[in-house]
Amino acid sequence: MIVGLLLLLLALAGAPLFAVIAASAMWGFAGEEMDLSVMGIEIYRLAETPVLLAIPLFTFAGYLLGESGAPARLVHLTRTLLGWLSGGLAIVSLVACSLFTAFTGASGVTIVALGALLYPALREDGYPENFSLGLITTSGSLGLLFAPALPLILYGVVSQQMHLDEPVRIDDLFAAGLLPGLLMVVLLSLYSMWRARGKVERAEAFSWSEACGAIRAAAWEIPLPILVLGGIYGGFFALSEAAAVTALYVLIVVVGIRREIKLKQLAPIIRESMVLVGAILIILGVSLASTNYLIDTEVPMRLFDAIRSQIDSKLTFLILLNLFLLALGMMLDIFSALVIVVPIILPIAVGYGIHPVHLGIIFLANMQIGYITPPVGMNLFIASYRFERPVLDVYRATIPFFAILLLTVLVITYWPALSLYLISD
Amino acid sequence: MIDARREGLLGRALVLFHGVEDLFLVLLLLAVIVLAPLQIFLRNFFDAGISWADPLIRVLVLWLGLFGAVAASRGDRHITIDVASRYFSAGLGDALRLLTSLFTSAVSALIAWHSGRFVIDEREFGSTAFSGIPAWIPELAIPVAFGLIAIRYGLRGFSEGSHLLARARPRGTTADERGDGGASG
Repeated sequence: MIVGLLLLLLALAGAPLFAVIAASAMWGFAGEEMDLSVMGIEIYRLAETPVLLAIPLFTFAGYLLGESGAPARLVHLTRTLLGWLSGGLAIVSLVACSLFTAFTGASGVTIVALGALLYPALREDGYPENFSLGLITTSGSLGLLFAPALPLILYGVVSQQMHLDEPVRIDDLFAAGLLPGLLMVVLLSLYSMWRARGKVERAEAFSWSEACGAIRAAAWEIPLPILVLGGIYGGFFALSEAAAVTALYVLIVVVGIRREIKLKQLAPIIRESMVLVGAILIILGVSLASTNYLIDTEVPMRLFDAIRSQIDSKLTFLILLNLFLLALGMMLDIFSALVIVVPIILPIAVGYGIHPVHLGIIFLANMQIGYITPPVGMNLFIASYRFERPVLDVYRATIPFFAILLLTVLVITYWPALSLYLISD
Repeated sequence: MIDARREGLLGRALVLFHGVEDLFLVLLLLAVIVLAPLQIFLRNFFDAGISWADPLIRVLVLWLGLFGAVAASRGDRHITIDVASRYFSAGLGDALRLLTSLFTSAVSALIAWHSGRFVIDEREFGSTAFSGIPAWIPELAIPVAFGLIAIRYGLRGFSEGSHLLARARPRGTTADERGDGGASG
């Protein structure tokens, strides 16, 4: 108990989470008088989980795309296709950011890579300053629910360690995220159209020649989402295969064909992307150990019994779950939240009759809001820093978007069919 | 003079080490990027595959994770709960960084030590990973990586410590006040 509290304080003081998790696992194992060389065995399980291959490959592809001219072409393309709508550019931002985040996994990259292009464009088209700021801040974590976003994959990996009666399949998660993710994009788009009405004069006329030009300019990038999303959702590709093809394709296009990144620049990009991969995988590795300890000592089951004695109804449980996850999302980034918290709450939620895939979507949707929840949501600070605006302004600007996303999270939570409709039985 | 030269030598060794580390990550990732699609290609078009490719790719992913984590320790870029640090004063921040660095170093050293014992056991036991490659070779990356992380955070703790001392010293305070000054100043 005291050790647990000390570890918590160390975590709050800024100790790397992998060290905190590893320490708690080793403390637990030592208490059970197990040989600590078990840590080696547990960490080595990273090499026995084939789907993890997708993580370095997609991360690298995302970083490389982010450094290339692809974000500018993506914005240009969606703009020529959707710019004629009322609120078109706002919708462009939402769609482009979702696509980009799905590939890069919501690490703040989206705001930096796309926000820098979209924010000035929004302002130029006459969108109010606060609206633009809030929109970009919110868009930064949109798209988490679309394949092949890393958090979905990681939820699948973590929940597969739990040995549920019904294992969670990652392609089920991909299918389940589609409608909830679309609901978010559509509601935010409707709000943007409403806000833009009358205020933004320059809805651009649609032009075939411009559209064809934009399509030609992005000719090498357009096959990518079709390949990956079509391949995965259509069942033609396994996830790791899609990741392998994507990484090779992006490497050949960006370095070989477009030559936007020189070979010499490749090493720093690889290094940067592998820093993120290492930070995620080392937490996953040590949490494989702590999860096993939790399961061995039946912590989730005891916790479930304790909660069950207080809370009868699934509905009350879901409300508390939402509140808990919102708070969690402010404190922890999505990756560590996944590996630390999912092993504990998944068995409890299943005990209340919640489908494990549905729980995954609830979890990620809540965590997505956590990125923009004042006072400490990460994207609020990134946007404040990137656009040189006081963080209080960013809070205010983000509130309407926050409210809309909160609404969708409630819909997602209390309407399981929205997530489960597309799952194959 | 001697000190400066040693510093230069140490600095150059460090640059060299960073270069080797980056190159290693690049080679690991490129190997995965070549092997994984090749395997898909062979499987789908020739109904064949390289028998050692799949297990090797999985080991490479483990190594990428571990040495990516080593690279993340270089600039203290591991995932943390970044909630409280904004509200710390500079002195308290330094003191806590010293504490958390030493903690991280100790935990990593412990993992390196115990996983090292695991690797030695495996070597004596003589188990194989794939295609006749002894299991201890791919496993060796675990103690090596955690050992490097322990060293990095140990050095970080050392420099935070000297930073704290340097901050306290110019005021000519006593040892007692020094600890106090570190915590509040």
